[in-house]
Amino acid sequence: MSEKNQNVGVYICYCGGNISDHVDVEEVRNRVEKMPGVALARTEMFMCSDPGQEMIIEDLKSGKIDRVVVASCAPSLHETTFRDAINRAGSNPFIYEHANIREQVSWVHHGDTATDKASVLIASATAKAKQLKPLDPIRVEAKKHTTIIGGGIAGIKAALDIAQTGIDVTLVEKSPILGGQLNNLDRLAPSGEKASEVLQELLDQVLNHKGITIHTDCKIQDVTGYVGNFSLDIVTKSDNKKLTIDTGAIVMATGSVSYMPFEGEYGFGRHEQVITLKDLIPILKENKSAGSVLKVNGKTIKNMVMIHCVGSRQIPGIHQPKENGQLNEYCSRTCCAAMLNVSNQIRENFPETGIYEMYRDIRTYGRGQEELYNQASKNKVIFMRYEADAQPEIIPSPKPDYPLQVKIKDSLTFNEEMEIPADLVVLATGIEPDDVSGLASMLKLPIGTDKFLLEVHPKLRPVEFPITGVFLAGTCQAPMDTGEACNAAGAAAVKASALLSKGYIELDPFVAEVDTDKCQGHGACVEACLKEGALELIEVNIEGKIHKKARVTAALCLGCGACAAVCPEKAIDINGWALKQYEDMVDAIVSDGFTV
Amino acid sequence: MNSVNLDFAEELKEYSDDTAFECFNCGTCAAICPLVHDNFPRRMIRYIQVGAKEKILENSDELWRCLHCGLCTHTCPREADPGEIILGLKRFVLANWRKS
Repeated sequence: MSEKNQNVGVYICYCGGNISDHVDVEEVRNRVEKMPGVALARTEMFMCSDPGQEMIIEDLKSGKIDRVVVASCAPSLHETTFRDAINRAGSNPFIYEHANIREQVSWVHHGDTATDKASVLIASATAKAKQLKPLDPIRVEAKKHTTIIGGGIAGIKAALDIAQTGIDVTLVEKSPILGGQLNNLDRLAPSGEKASEVLQELLDQVLNHKGITIHTDCKIQDVTGYVGNFSLDIVTKSDNKKLTIDTGAIVMATGSVSYMPFEGEYGFGRHEQVITLKDLIPILKENKSAGSVLKVNGKTIKNMVMIHCVGSRQIPGIHQPKENGQLNEYCSRTCCAAMLNVSNQIRENFPETGIYEMYRDIRTYGRGQEELYNQASKNKVIFMRYEADAQPEIIPSPKPDYPLQVKIKDSLTFNEEMEIPADLVVLATGIEPDDVSGLASMLKLPIGTDKFLLEVHPKLRPVEFPITGVFLAGTCQAPMDTGEACNAAGAAAVKASALLSKGYIELDPFVAEVDTDKCQGHGACVEACLKEGALELIEVNIEGKIHKKARVTAALCLGCGACAAVCPEKAIDINGWALKQYEDMVDAIVSDGFTV
Repeated sequence: MNSVNLDFAEELKEYSDDTAFECFNCGTCAAICPLVHDNFPRRMIRYIQVGAKEKILENSDELWRCLHCGLCTHTCPREADPGEIILGLKRFVLANWRKS
């Protein structure tokens, strides 16, 4: 692989003081300039700025250099910036190597040691750069079709947004109807719109869109393939009909369920007057009766207690875990606004029904939600606050006029113990992800410790999975309200559409490559391979003799290097991360940069 | 343990405006009060909100330490009018004195 003498250009960034306050950048430049293979070394206040990029482009165009090393921030920020610049100069973007001298140096070291470490990291990057060869992105034909798994609000919205870009969509839903959790809701917080109207507006569009095919009441049996060419086997539950969907991308919109309190949790299951908010909402929805006092199941509710954070923000050692040991340590985010919304409805329509809300913290974080909280105060909802380790207790009332009594140590009343009589106790149960572990293991999707599906990065790549071509939207990822789920769905839709719009996809070429001359067909690589279908042994006819050789399917290869580690002939290697490149990097590090 | 009286707010209307529900428990009134400590008059207002009638009767002597200087009402950010509430509670306590 080592060709003639490569000319490496090294570009060292000040990062406006972020690097240069701790690293003597000019001293580093002096050292780097003398390193073997380095044609030139330059510095710049911000290498990612236009002048910085122009400098690299000029040097490439004039032929002074044919390999590029940029020493700056973490490659996650600007690797693509510099690869694009190299591309614009007419060079191959894979002749580039990055040295991280900000996060790994100036932000954690100071003085001479910082300068020394920066020099060593650049030396090793330079050593690798000399071994880099131009690569071509892997081009994969992509079917202009997306499959959405889950027909709740996120799935419906994603389907519509994708279909509107001209890409066909198949929407797969396990239950017989579309709409998911919105079917159980009445008025959405904080706007007060009818959930059914919001849903109907979207459903009308989805059902009438020619580009959208809908399969309800079915389950997914198998998923195979890779980005641009996935294949899903689904089967309808009612008549066992099998169907295969060929698709280019997949959006997971598998949604969530409501936390189910265990028996005895706040009296749930022991007193019929203890219900969940999820159960109360349909009652309110059906309740057409006028009158100044709320009636539930025929019983007059003079006073009710609403308890927040049930099944959310659980603390190890305080809350009782489920049988599988799971504790929901996260905040479910939607219940505060949902509770206040319902409280306001009740107080405004049934002024003779009193409400005590017992909370740990009120988290009305979103637009319009604080107003609900204010409104609840105006409506004379009485707030009481409990600590996690002193939860309200629900007991039968000693007096006949109310069935229940709630005992609380109220920190808003100076930690005094209070007893509140109640006709009804409502529990704000949190959000839990629907169990899609089977599907996740089929697709090799990561699941977080909280059991929600896990994106690549919560800020930089919030709707993508590490498996290219698979996206996520809605409450399968985290607790979200309807608006947030639609936001996520829109983002996932744009990502999927952009991916498939050209009809082909270019993937990074950092995958395994077989040197067929060296390969003896041992097959150790195939055994070591982690990704089914990425490596196989094929028979090749060479001068009349049949030989076994390893073959890589580039689109499936993860570039993990498990094969390179086991090959006795060193006949398989990872492009962009070759063994020889590693060896030279290590050599450069142990010799402080002055070798090779 | 204090059992809450759900009808207390209604009962109190005879003696005082029901501005107690304007209060959001900031404590400015208690901080500014030059005469009485121990969260006065905030605690009394809280008792009205939750319906802790018995607690008010138990601690009614606190009410008579108040000289109605008006600082609490002047500084209240919510127009809950703590001074007037205390006056109203005095009327209520007098009417209920030794009733039970």
